Amino acid sequence: MSKFIQLHLLTSYAPSNLNRDDLGRPKTARMGGTERLRVSSQSLKRHWRTSDVFEQALGKHIGTRTKRLGVEVFNQLCELGISEKQAKTWAVAIAGVFGKGKKDGLEIEQLAHISPEELAAVDTLVKTLAAENRAPEQAELDLLRRNASAADIAMFGRMLASSPEFNCEAACQVAHAISVHGVAVEEDYFTAVDDLNRGDSDLGAAHIGEAAFSAALFYSYICIDKELLVSNLDGDVELANKAITALVEAAVKVSPKGKQNSFASRAYASYVLAEKGDQQPRSLSVAFLKPIIGENQAEDAVQALQRQVENFDKVYGACADDRYSVNALEGEGSFEQLKAFAAD
Amino acid sequence: MQYLVFRLYGPMASWGEAAVGGDRPSGLTPSRSAVLGLLGAALGIKRDDVSRLDALRAEVGIAVKAYSCGSLMRDYHTAQVPSQDRKRTFYSRKDELSVEKEKLNTVLSSRDYRSDGYWVVAVWLWQESEFTLDMLEAALKKPAFTPYLGRKACPLAVPVTPRLVAFELKEALDTSFPPILFSHEQDRRWLGLGNTVTYLWQGTADDLGEYEGVQSCQVWDEPISREPWQFSARQVHQLTLVEE
Repeated sequence: MSKFIQLHLLTSYAPSNLNRDDLGRPKTARMGGTERLRVSSQSLKRHWRTSDVFEQALGKHIGTRTKRLGVEVFNQLCELGISEKQAKTWAVAIAGVFGKGKKDGLEIEQLAHISPEELAAVDTLVKTLAAENRAPEQAELDLLRRNASAADIAMFGRMLASSPEFNCEAACQVAHAISVHGVAVEEDYFTAVDDLNRGDSDLGAAHIGEAAFSAALFYSYICIDKELLVSNLDGDVELANKAITALVEAAVKVSPKGKQNSFASRAYASYVLAEKGDQQPRSLSVAFLKPIIGENQAEDAVQALQRQVENFDKVYGACADDRYSVNALEGEGSFEQLKAFAAD
Repeated sequence: MQYLVFRLYGPMASWGEAAVGGDRPSGLTPSRSAVLGLLGAALGIKRDDVSRLDALRAEVGIAVKAYSCGSLMRDYHTAQVPSQDRKRTFYSRKDELSVEKEKLNTVLSSRDYRSDGYWVVAVWLWQESEFTLDMLEAALKKPAFTPYLGRKACPLAVPVTPRLVAFELKEALDTSFPPILFSHEQDRRWLGLGNTVTYLWQGTADDLGEYEGVQSCQVWDEPISREPWQFSARQVHQLTLVEE
């Protein structure tokens, strides 16, 4: 198992406002003495971890959507010889973990999406309770949701001053995405007319405003500490691999949502390089210290990135043991293989 | 004296200073706590391993040479968090964000970064210890935890290139490294390096040699305890020189 998995992505966005500052303008940074467009790491992570990609890849796509978990648990407990009264109380407690229960009933009010891991945990718990003839303890109920859904916390960590026992050191490092070229943030002056204004007394616009935007080709960088990820997930290598696959998919396909309805800013990465090894991780942002200028921006950026990889290796010795890349500009490489490479 | 020297560069870095509330300022140069944290991470010392962290702190001395402190970048940062609810445990971020809207609060913070700063660090051992400079060098080459420039979102953007040198302190800090770009000229151009450099060191004011204009001040970046988050003062000497 390689310790570090590094991902380098180049993603191009048409005019948009993906991530805003306090004035509602796109965030920027300076690199190589020129102003660049920026998307903060917090913004990237939020959109990945709340994405459908994450939800599905982390085992829930073969989960069960049901209101009837309590009914199932009740029946099973009764079959195992627990009295109806006790079976009902325990079943309500277990179903309550997944959603608010209906009054005086075993059903949950809304359809709950229950993962296979959770269903298996419920099954084990029911058998334990029946064998030991006792009510579930609070700690046992807490565990029901942990394995399935904690992968995002294992990856991106959490810090709670109020309950440090739930703190978790993030296994993934995500850099702010920075454009490979200089940008000038532009202003869109816009007006909106009132459909019911027939111009009898006033022909002016009903609303005027300004919106800032810019287009950019972004370089983003992610470093996954696989050893830490596995340890955060209590040694579950399979779940760690699922999480890595989900992260690669989200990083390539999920865009930040700022002003998305105004700009339809969705994009897939044009180029992705994945690296594996134990060596000190390093981003390749220096490839773009000198901004990319010219008509073949994307091709030039890919070349600059590849040359940087080679030059780092030449000067410092191999910086990774193994690499795989996909290039959507040239139609080279396969995304499925990239995911398999990253999560092997 | 033997020193371990290495360099730190990234497009963004943040050297935490005293932070009150939502303001997270950054210093101009790597703080002692940041460098100790970097070495600790490389060695694989966990945040709660108090005795090894203390040993590292007691045994390691640090000096920094700043080629460029970079430019200030202030990031406007918002985060959504649910109101505190002792009866509920949130198992994922999605869980947290799915509470009723009235219970979801937005917290603001302002975070400072240094863009394109470039620093060289020299490390030495004050006493015989469980750590050796060889160990630290090996750990920086193959770190146990992901190293970063003060904040996790600030990755290293060049190999830190650790190496052991037996010199005086100033010579150690003046160790030359391969250019970041294709030549030292290009580094100057694209990192905006001027011809002044600043040295910061601990020990005595003349450890760097016989110079006029050394300033000494107190800096509160000696980590005492992570829980609670406490730092004590140390004396730092500083000198800015014009380099050819």
